[in-house]
Parts: sequence; C-alpha cells; structure tokens
Amino acid sequence: MRKKVVIITIAVVLLAGVWLYKGYLYKEVRNISKEAPAYTLTADELVSQYTNNQQQANADYLNKTIQITGNVTQVSDSVVTINSLIVCCFDEKPNAPANSKIITIKGRCIGYDELFNEVKLDQCTIKP
Amino acid sequence: MKKIKVVFTILMLAVSTCFYAQKYSTKIGVIRFEASVPSFEEVAGENKTASAILEPVTGNIAVLALMKGFRFKVALMEEHFNENYVESDKYPKATFKGKVDGLDVAKLTTDAKPYTITGDLTLHGKTVKVTDSAKISKSGNTITITGSFQVQPKDFAIEIPSVVSKKVADKIEVSYKLQLTN
Repeated sequence: MRKKVVIITIAVVLLAGVWLYKGYLYKEVRNISKEAPAYTLTADELVSQYTNNQQQANADYLNKTIQITGNVTQVSDSVVTINSLIVCCFDEKPNAPANSKIITIKGRCIGYDELFNEVKLDQCTIKP
Repeated sequence: MKKIKVVFTILMLAVSTCFYAQKYSTKIGVIRFEASVPSFEEVAGENKTASAILEPVTGNIAVLALMKGFRFKVALMEEHFNENYVESDKYPKATFKGKVDGLDVAKLTTDAKPYTITGDLTLHGKTVKVTDSAKISKSGNTITITGSFQVQPKDFAIEIPSVVSKKVADKIEVSYKLQLTN
C-alpha cells in the first residue's frame, strides 16, 4: 500500500515537472501556419477597422492569427501586398502569386505601420 | 487654355513621381537586440519586418518597428518581453526619426563607408536621443545601412525585476540592417 502511494506521488511530481518544463518554461514558439485563425475577414474589412479606430483594431487583432482575403497588388521578395494596404511578410519566400489575383492569406497581425499607412502581418502562409 | 492645363497636370505628375522615386524605403528591415549575460541563457529578439524611409537629399531617416514583430527563440521570453517589459499592447511600436550626417547618395559605393546617424528613438512611451556610427553602401539602386548602438532599459522606463536582473544585461545592444530601394 505504502509503496503504491510513493510511486503515485513520484509519478505526479514527475508529470508536473514535465508539464512545467514543456508547457510553461520551454513551451514551443507559436507556429502560426498550424494555428486556426481567430478571425476570418476580407482585406477591406480589416483596413476599414484599422482606419476607423486603430486602438480598437489593435485590441481585437494584435498578435492574433487572422485570415484575410483580397487582391494581390504587389509582390516583392518575401512580401505580398493585399489591396495596397495590407503588407503580408513571409518567413519563406512564397510561390509568387500573380498580381490582381484574389487570394487568402493567414498570418499574425503585428499592428499598423504609420510610415506607410499599412496593416502588417508576419509569418504568413497562402491558403490553397 | 485646356491644353495648357493638360500640359501643366502632366508636368506636375512627372515632377511628383520624380520626387517620389527619390525616396528609398524598405518594409523588411532587420532589427535585433541582445541583452545576454555571459554564462546565462541568451536574451535576444529579432524583428525582420521593420519599415524605413530615407530621403537622400536631406539625409532624413525614419524607421518603424512593430513591437509584436520581435521574435524570440523561447516562447516565454517573447511573452515576458511583450507583457511585462515593453507592454506592446499599450505601446505597439518603436520609432526612430533622425538624420544621416553629410549623406551624398552620389558618392556612395559598394564599399561601406562610416556615417554618423543621430536622432530620437521612441518606445514604451519614452524618447531618447541616440547617436551611432553606421556603415552605408550602395549597389545598384539598393542602399544598405548597417550599424549598432546601445540603450539602457531604464532610459525607457522599463523595469527589470530583481529576480532576473542578473540574467539581463544593463546595456542592450541594438543592431540593424536596412536594405532600402527606390
């Protein structure tokens, strides 16, 4: 009986330790491409929400994985611009989509860039 | 009369595109900071999505980095950076507005030459004057600016709790690489 208690206690402590290590202290960095989007919206919706009320839009979308659909307006290196106002940065150079094609991109919203007046997303992936 | 108007409009358009084309910019500038202390875990973050605009005639330079764009190898470190230190929900960006001393784009070559950049660095609601020596080169229509400078968290009212203060350097090394094109 005593032995059982000891074994169970050790197991619980070990599990807690593993959880603390893996789940908290050294949990994996986010993988946006594997996350389900918290919001799915059109590029126009995202832009208008940012231009209407930047603070509210930041509160809603900052650091969240979002999925947007819009027109490709520019492609250069690892950056795809949607509707001229959303800049999607890719970790790896994407298969360049054609200009003016409608595509869906998933990425993490990192905020509003006032130098270019654009909404910025990073760690983007193109939805097939 | 109409003809004059048309000619004038075209002229204005031509002039404005000319000026526009003269600006050099990037949206994928790299900014890295390191606050590691020897023999402790690496404390470093990197932002590969910084924006920058350089006006070649005046030497004015503006850089903007979104704080959420700084990424770390350790998820918990990224969380602490955003939530406890720079409070990126409240202060979502860092900006630098400054001037490259004596910049003459025509004299830039593929060999990087030193230039002094001075300006104001704003983050976490505080502004600090920064001076550093940058290396600037030009190849084709790409101007590359690299450099580094040091800042102190206390200058930006960022408090490092005493529990971890031994693991985070007092002086934080910020380095950057901007490849601007026109």
